[in-house]
Amino acid sequence: MKLSGRSSLAAVAAAVAAGLREHGIQAVLTGGACASLYSAGAYHSRDLDFVVIGGVSQSRMDSAMAMAGFVRRGDRYVHPRARFYVEFPRGPLAIGGDHRVRPVVRITAYGRIRMLSATDSCRDRLAAFYHWGDRQSLSVAAWIASRHRVGMATLRRWSEAEGAADRFREFVMEKRQIRRRSRRRPRVP
Amino acid sequence: MVIKSSSPFGSGTRTRVLLSLSLLGESYARELARVLRAPLSGVQKALRSLELDGLVAGRPVGRTRVFQLDPRYFARDALKVFLQRLAEPETVLRSQVATLRRRPRRTGKPL
Repeated sequence: MKLSGRSSLAAVAAAVAAGLREHGIQAVLTGGACASLYSAGAYHSRDLDFVVIGGVSQSRMDSAMAMAGFVRRGDRYVHPRARFYVEFPRGPLAIGGDHRVRPVVRITAYGRIRMLSATDSCRDRLAAFYHWGDRQSLSVAAWIASRHRVGMATLRRWSEAEGAADRFREFVMEKRQIRRRSRRRPRVP
Repeated sequence: MVIKSSSPFGSGTRTRVLLSLSLLGESYARELARVLRAPLSGVQKALRSLELDGLVAGRPVGRTRVFQLDPRYFARDALKVFLQRLAEPETVLRSQVATLRRRPRRTGKPL
């Protein structure tokens, strides 16, 4: 797939995922890009963070990324036309103190993307809220939880383990507010 | 013979930066360089590599990047315990850290 300046995040993610798969590299899309895909554009991210499962040499990674048209610039991969860049943060794949993360495969119009589940993407955003007080991440997490089926019991247990039981209650309230707002919105005839 | 402390986190500077951050809670490159009496460039390099490894996280405060042990690191609890243990015999480092004034001071109050 040829990427252009107008390629969407999903198109870029699928192209990169295909290149990595072709080279036998197992990688999972995480972070803001994942949240952006679940939030259907309500949140924008320009960087795609893939966590590689297992080791991979730099040359193999370079050729896998070259398949999608990306070249390495320092720690990241950039594309001559696409607006997005790709990074490979060091693993393991973990969210807060939990490293038992089970990625899912999402089928898009552009191809398959191995990524965090909606519940884990929610946890990923909540981790930023819990540990950094980042309220934008709270909104995104609440947005994801209000539009996707997420394991609220899992989120609660994990939040307690992160020492953020009170902040989890704030998240639940935020989620309710988003639902209420979306119900109130008048329908266009 | 040169006697050095052990450096289980790679270079000595990386280990000492981590120890300092575990004692201070959070800090920035210039302060760490002052505490460790190490070149600023070496401390900045250590912080960059520790950040890449996910052990520390930095956030901008004004024009300064303030670092702390990454609270989202999956082994952060074990890391904290390990660093506390490693810091126990580091009497020099602990006394250097103790010279830093961290408590607030009202604006305009003379030193």
